[in-house]
Order: sequence, then C-alpha cells, then structure tokens
Amino acid sequence: MSRPVDRIQPAPEASQGTLAGEAQRWNDATRAPYVAAHPERRAAFVTQALKWPIKPLYTPVDLEAVGFDYLKDLGFPGEYPYTRGTQPNGHRSNLWTMSQVTGFGKGEDWAKRARYMLEQGLQGLILEHDLPTTNGYDSDNPLVEGEVGRAGLALDSLEDLERAFDLPFERLKYLMSVCNAPQPVNLAMIIAALEKKGIDPRQFVLHIVNGILIEYTCVGRYIFPPVHGLRIATDCIEYIIRNHPNWAPISIISAQLQPARANPVQEIAFSMAIAMAYIDATLERGFDIDTVAPYFHFVINVDMDFFEGICKLRAYRKIWARLMKERYGAARPAALKIRMMTSPTTIALTLQQPLNNIGRLAIMATACALGGAGENMTTPLHDEAHALPAEEAIRVGAALQHIVAHETGVADTIDPLAGSYYVEALTKQIETAAMAEIDRVMQMGGALRAIETGYFQRALGREQYERNRDLEEGRRKWVGVNHLVLPGEKRQIEIFRADNRMEEEQVARVRALRSRRDNVAVAAALEAVREAARQGSNLVPPCLAAVKLYATHGELCDAMRDVFGVHTPDSQLTGV
Amino acid sequence: MSEPSARRLRVLLAKLGMDTHTVGITVVAHALREAGMEVIFTGLKQTPEAVAKAAIQEDVDVVGVSSLSAGHTRSLPKLARLLREQGAGEKLLIAGGVIPEEDLPLLQEAGFARVFTMGTDTRQIVDYLRGWWSERLAADVARE
Repeated sequence: MSRPVDRIQPAPEASQGTLAGEAQRWNDATRAPYVAAHPERRAAFVTQALKWPIKPLYTPVDLEAVGFDYLKDLGFPGEYPYTRGTQPNGHRSNLWTMSQVTGFGKGEDWAKRARYMLEQGLQGLILEHDLPTTNGYDSDNPLVEGEVGRAGLALDSLEDLERAFDLPFERLKYLMSVCNAPQPVNLAMIIAALEKKGIDPRQFVLHIVNGILIEYTCVGRYIFPPVHGLRIATDCIEYIIRNHPNWAPISIISAQLQPARANPVQEIAFSMAIAMAYIDATLERGFDIDTVAPYFHFVINVDMDFFEGICKLRAYRKIWARLMKERYGAARPAALKIRMMTSPTTIALTLQQPLNNIGRLAIMATACALGGAGENMTTPLHDEAHALPAEEAIRVGAALQHIVAHETGVADTIDPLAGSYYVEALTKQIETAAMAEIDRVMQMGGALRAIETGYFQRALGREQYERNRDLEEGRRKWVGVNHLVLPGEKRQIEIFRADNRMEEEQVARVRALRSRRDNVAVAAALEAVREAARQGSNLVPPCLAAVKLYATHGELCDAMRDVFGVHTPDSQLTGV
Repeated sequence: MSEPSARRLRVLLAKLGMDTHTVGITVVAHALREAGMEVIFTGLKQTPEAVAKAAIQEDVDVVGVSSLSAGHTRSLPKLARLLREQGAGEKLLIAGGVIPEEDLPLLQEAGFARVFTMGTDTRQIVDYLRGWWSERLAADVARE
C-alpha cells in the first residue's frame, strides 16, 4: 500500500532548469517511484516538540521560501544579530565553562560534594537549595518534615552557608544559586558568608537565578503574590547592579519552561516576555537599557530533537538582539548579545535502562555545542531519573563534556551547521513564530498579566498532556519506555541517599541557634524587613543586617509574608 | 438510589510537602478525567493531615499522591496512617513519581496498593483503577 508522496515544491513557476524545477523533477522521477516501492516508515515526520512537518529534502529553494538573507539573518560571529554566536571566535579561544548541578544535605555535605566536583575538572557549581528553603521555611517547620536537605542544601541560617563555603574558592569561576521566592534572603546570606570567610566577591561570578516569574508559570516554588514577587526580584537586581556589578543578578530559566513541555516557540516567547517584565521594572529604578540588558542570563535546555534544539539556540540569540534593539533602543553590543548557558534536558532521560541516558546526554551536549553552547554548559546526570546523583554519575557527566569538547571537533569551527538548508529554514521559522507569540503576550499586557490570568500555565498544561499522549499512542518512540523495552528489567545502578539523621541534626542545629543568638536584636531586624516591605524600599540591606544577627531564613520569609500575604492559585492558575 | 456501577470513580490527586513538580500529576489528571473518572486536585504544598481531611470530606474512593522529591518515605506512610486512624482505611492508596524500587516494600507495607514510577503509561493506571473499581463494586453488591 502506498500513500501520496509529498510535493517537494509547490511553486507554480517551477520549471525545468531552475532549482525548484529540478527539485520537483527529482521528486517525481527518482524519489516518488522509490517511495512507492519502499513506503515511508512513519505516517508523518514531524519535529519532536513543535510537531512541524519535516520535509524529505531541503534545498536552497527552502531558504528562498522563508526569505533567508545571509547578511540580515546571520551576519558574523560576535556581530548583530549574533545568530552565529556572541563570541567573535566561537569556542576556538575559550570553551564553555563546564558545570553540574549539585547540592544536598547540610552545609558540610554540600562542601564535600562540591570539592569532589571541582577535583573532577569542573569550574562552576550550582547550589540548589532544598525545597523547604526555596519555599521559605526553616528545617524545623512541621510542614517540611521529610524534605530537609533532600533535594538540595538546607539553608536555615548564615551558619549553614559558612559550612558550605569551606571550598577551594580559587578554583571556582562561577557559582550559581537557585533560590527564587526568598531571593533577598539568599543573596544576603551569600554576601554575609563571603564577608565572614574573607573571600573577595570580585574573584568569581555569583549568579543568582532570581526567577520568580517562571515559578508562577510552572515550577510552583512561590511564596508571595506575583506582583510582590516581581518587586522582590527587582530589588535584588538593583542591589547587585549597584553593589556587585561583576555578578549576575537575574537569569531567565527557560530550562524550567522546557521540562514543563514548553515547545521552542512557547519557550522563547514566554521567556522573552518574562525577561521584558523584569527589564521594565528595573528601568523604572532609574537605569538605562544599555546598563540593564547585559545583566540578563538565559539558561536553555536542549531536548533530543537535535535540529529543533540547535535552531532554537540560534533563534534565541537573534531574537534577544532584535528585541533589545528594536523595542528598547539598546545600542551597546553587550546589551544586544544574549548571555546563555545551555544544558541537555532531564526530561529526555529515562528511569528504564538508565545507562542509555549517557548516550542521550552525549547527543544533547553535542547539540548544545553545535548550537553555540554559550558561556556555560551544565550536564544533568544519567541516574537522575532514579534519585539524587551518585559519584560515578558525576564523574561520567564531567567526562562527557570533555569528550564533546575535545574529541568530536564540533567546537573547532564557529557555528558549523550554518548554511544547512534545513537548519536555516527551521531557525527562521522558529524565529518568526516566536516573534508572533511575543506580540500576542504583549497585547495581553505582558508576562505578569499572562501569569495572573493563567495563560502561560494553561498553555503548558495542554502541551504536557498532548506530548504524553504522543508517547503513549506510539507517535513518538522512546527507547526503554515504549520501544526496546526490557521485560522484567532490574535496576543496576548506584544511588545516592540522604539519611534521616541528617534532618534531625539540621532541626537540632536551627533550634540551638535560636536559643543562642541575641533575640532582641533579631526581632528588631525582622521589624526593619517588614518596614522595608511596606515602604517599598530595597529589601536586601535590611535582610543583610538580619542574617548577620543569625535571623533564620524562615523568620525572614515570615516577616515578608506578614506584609505581602501568600499566593494560593486555583486550578485555572496552575494548569493541573 | 442509583446503581452502584453508575457511580463514577472519585479520585483525589495530591501533592504533599514542598515538592512542586506538577507535570506528572497534570498528565494523570487529564488521563483519568478522559477515562470518565472524577478528579479532584488538592493544590500544591499540602500536609498529610490536609490531604486525609480532603479525602474524607470529598468522599473519594482513591487517593493518589505524586512525589518527585525524596520525601516520600515519611510523608506517604503518614498519610496512610492518618486515613486508617480516621476510619478511611478502605480507600485505595496509590502513588507515583520518582520513587526508587527499594522503597516499594516500605510503601506497600504502609498501605499503598500500587506505586507507578516515572514513565508509567497512563493507560496502565486507568486499567488498574478500573479493575480495582469493578472488584470493589462487585464486593459491595455481594455484601448487599
């Protein structure tokens, strides 16, 4: 049984001798008879996330169809519109910084793991806090029983960070801290800990994520209503620009939209709209766009569809440059160049046959490198679907980035896939669709409004359900899940486990601290935080004063809850 | 009084503690609704006490908990114990998410009938619940 063969070129003027005509001739004379005898292995070939049709062959005719213009669409590396990369020499001078996610347990546990990672050749670390911390609770709060130190570092007071920062700081180029809703508290603790340890804050880059708007969109670790969340984030941006200008005060973690199944168009559009909400709020603090824009960082995941991922990264660079220039009138190259960090996505990894994930990670890391990895690449670990990472997995994950960087040659010439008919056509299509979606969100009133009405959340909920159906109904094959399944598979991989005693010790520590410190001074410092919250003055300085007196993380968040209230979205606003 | 088989299976889906990963529970909620079940979602950051209370108030047949942090070894058994203590031990308890295989005996012993780990086909969950429901209805009919 055969089915209709795709028409390669619909162009009516296609005639013999022209490329379009020749492509049509090839299809009719050579391909069609072959396909009639050898039917295609799928009813439809589509890209993984966008489900856009993939043609059997791309030629220069496709570039013409999307209006591709080399100088306008690509230009040159290090020059507007930066499609071919923000660095003038790609990765030939400097490779991306290689990092991995870490963070669990008590401060000294985190320090031990972080030292191990630095010894494996990693130069950047990501400090993930546990869920009680990111949701603004102390370890001894009854609400958080069983979660202390499990998904990241338990941060109750400055004491915990003093322990965690027992590190060879001279090897560390880059520290990223993920703690969004209680960001002024986290920032204050880091500044105070560095001060106590005598570490020069200028010797490395502290990169705080500060990404509360994405928490409301899909991650869920919010505390206060969105409008207050945005104000708090802006306080941190303002404080860092004025006091630690070499640090990175804001990241747009597209890499959280992507696991929530944002397709590349939604991912670019929602993340850019969110970035613009922070930019607008920061500009209101009296900065200009050429000062503000260079502080924005994006963390972007790549999934298993190699070309969708690569084209998305190329489109990201170009769209940022266009938005900064066309909408904000930015002029400095630093404002027009997106700062990006890339990562293979964890959602491509399987619980089944976990060693297969090493293969997946290598392919996705290669896609990141080919798409222009950015300043930094972080790799998740192959056992992540199971539990928190084990040491062997950390070693393999670190080696994997070195393999991509040094053995494959993908980092040896700049933007090596440029000019591929498929890659350029898809890059341009993603750019066009994303710009249209950005306009749509702006017409709604921007990202804050889109969150408050649940537009982002419901759009992602639909994608989640549809993408899962594709998998279950076999439209997408996933090895170990719905293809090449091992019956009765036994798990054979090392798993790291935090132990319950750790929680008890952490609870004892924070309780002991509260009885030891100057509680009269702490109460006054907490009142100063409430006052700043009410007055609209910057929250970071009063938080810094309070953490130095060992006010706890939960106490500081409670002080802000007293003024801002808490966010309790209904199902329409969660997308579930 | 309506026929017992005419009653739709009522399922409470819950997220306990600080774990806010919702993709799995969103997909399961959609799939169960599509299969004709009634699905109630607790919202995020719930305590075992609040979920037990909601399960009893809403008179659900099934309580499903999604867990993607490592807190499941404490909070899930606690929920099961609270339900038993409040005379709601007949409700079917299921769980899903990132749960290592070696924790399965602990959860089974606590009263969780099935644990669906990451990557489970939602049709398996639907089939399992339908099977359990028809057995439960048959047992009810036999008792009457």
